[in-house]
Amino acid sequence: MIELIEVTKRFGRETAVDAISLRIERGELCALVGTSGCGKSTTLRMINRLIEHSEGEVHLEGRQVREFDEQVLRRRIGYVIQSTGLFPHWTVARNIGLVPRLLKWPRAKVEARVEELMTLLGLPQEQFAGKYPHQLSGGQAQRVGVARALAADPDILLMDEPFGALDPITRESLQLELRDLQSRLHKTIVFVTHDMDEALALADRLVVMRAGRIVQQGTPLELLRDPVDDFVASLLGGNDRGLKETTLLRVGERMQPLSPRLLPQARVHRDATLRQALAVMFREHADRLAVVDDDEMAVGELSLRRLVGARRDE
Amino acid sequence: MHRDVSTPNRVLLALTLVAVAAWLLLPLASLAPNRIVPGTPLHAHEAFGWAGALAALTGLFGLAALAWRPSARRLWLALALAMLLLMGLPAWLALAAALTIDPSQPQARMGLGAAFWLLLFCLALMVIELRSRLALGAVAGWLLGALVLAAWWLATPWLEPLALWREYQGRSDQFAGAVVDHLLLVGGAVGASLVLGTGIALAMRRHTGVERIGFTVLNFLQTIPSLALFGLLLAPLAWLSANVGWVHALGIRGIGWAPAFLALLGYSLLPMVRNTFVALSGVDPGVLESARGMGMSRGQVFWQVRLPLALPVVLEGVRITTVQAIGLTAVAALIGAGGLGTFIFQGLGQAAMDLVLLGALPILAMALAADSLLGALTRRLDPRLASGASA
Repeated sequence: MIELIEVTKRFGRETAVDAISLRIERGELCALVGTSGCGKSTTLRMINRLIEHSEGEVHLEGRQVREFDEQVLRRRIGYVIQSTGLFPHWTVARNIGLVPRLLKWPRAKVEARVEELMTLLGLPQEQFAGKYPHQLSGGQAQRVGVARALAADPDILLMDEPFGALDPITRESLQLELRDLQSRLHKTIVFVTHDMDEALALADRLVVMRAGRIVQQGTPLELLRDPVDDFVASLLGGNDRGLKETTLLRVGERMQPLSPRLLPQARVHRDATLRQALAVMFREHADRLAVVDDDEMAVGELSLRRLVGARRDE
Repeated sequence: MHRDVSTPNRVLLALTLVAVAAWLLLPLASLAPNRIVPGTPLHAHEAFGWAGALAALTGLFGLAALAWRPSARRLWLALALAMLLLMGLPAWLALAAALTIDPSQPQARMGLGAAFWLLLFCLALMVIELRSRLALGAVAGWLLGALVLAAWWLATPWLEPLALWREYQGRSDQFAGAVVDHLLLVGGAVGASLVLGTGIALAMRRHTGVERIGFTVLNFLQTIPSLALFGLLLAPLAWLSANVGWVHALGIRGIGWAPAFLALLGYSLLPMVRNTFVALSGVDPGVLESARGMGMSRGQVFWQVRLPLALPVVLEGVRITTVQAIGLTAVAALIGAGGLGTFIFQGLGQAAMDLVLLGALPILAMALAADSLLGALTRRLDPRLASGASA
């Protein structure tokens, strides 16, 4: 658990972060979002003390981060940055094993751990272990970056725009992998991004920052449905907010039991997002879809009125 | 590679053309009855007759033929042929000497002519061109160079009348000493400037004030003409030597190795400090941030990340400094520091160009050797280049 209490950071006369309070629960993925220069990266770096806060308290598992030895603290926290920060003169395997070696793990244990992580992140050992970072694609390099951050099995992971430099397709596949990884590992993750779609897709909780202050925080749905002001609303995409909401909801949540009427031809999977269902309707010129399960068996139906959230289907 | 089979290699053809023209039109050597009289030019056709001179071109025409429709096998043949011609170059001088110098004139000597230098130049370029065409590595390059030097060394017994060889024989003891002196001065100055320069660069990184003053002073030092700097050091060192006991005991005098060493050190510091400073400052900040973020201590970041990543650029500084110091040390002979410059200035004084060459050629060879050795080391240390070369 991470807790920030009235934390302020000043650079000279400039106030980068202004008395923010924030609590991030264990196992939660919390995204800090906002425009550039809003203080989100600074906030992140005050947690592992790459930047020392000027006022207030930063707590980690109930202890102030200032009480920890800097290096001990950082070795307990995974850290991933946009430029990957991989050491160009070290092989992939050596890069991943960095923190375990700093922690003086026995060699066999380090090697076993490196192998485990490379498998976990889909980097075949025999193909990648001996490569140097410049021989990797952007996506592969960032996978190595994530593997390195996870090496000593930290409870907390700090990620500073980790997928910001990747092309859209690679970015999306890495986002899916991170979500998949998180559903298995349950780390406490603080994730900085200015890509709102990325934040909506990944985060359990969004924290919107502006000019060093927290403007609003809550689950993605709470923010989409109820932005506190025009700034948050426009950050979330203005009128596109509704469409973004459809990507967060599943067909299964809105479907109705099968009616005695004729089953529609067009079909959609129960776990598809409402956005995908909307796309099928648009493509098939249909206002009613059959909802199917993994075996293509019809388990319900979804009308356009239900999809958009009208209470009664008339 | 398919393209190479169909189109002629223009580089080889052009070099062959220049070599043929040089052989036919320019003097191969010059002859003088003794050391004092200026020589008269000797063309190839004068030494061997037109028939002989034209027959001697067979090898070059062979090269041109191989270059006309090059395939991998023909390029290998061309490399062998060019190497043979390069290694056999002194044979023409030996033959010319045997044919033209009267045995009753033991003082007669032969100088090297324009045709000889141009042939040497063209053949060496051909070997370099073929080496890169055949994608031979640095080791193969050094092997080829060693082969040529060995062949020339074996030819020396037949080159008695060659003025350069005569000058060497008259000074073979001095020569070895001069080479050692030269290397000691260069090695000492470069080594000391590396240690001192790294220290200064580190201090500059810590304090911006030191950075400004440091570069101003070093830039200023660099602008003083070398001869003037040697002169300026003369008086203070002489005074120190005369008045301070331990300075005298160290062998420091107003002239000799001490002022030369200090001046060389002064000139070496700027490139060394600049490269080391740029190298240490130029390390990717993202890499350094992640190193700190992973929990490395200051020392670990410096020794395991910053220094290894800076090393190729630091070595580049050592390379520049070494090549520069090898050349500058020649001037140090003027203040009695010894080294190969001694021969150059003696030769200039006596108007004996071959003696100048005896000093200049080894300096040239040293500079080339240092350049290629340190260059190869730099490439080895850069992971980006090293892994590319091994792939």
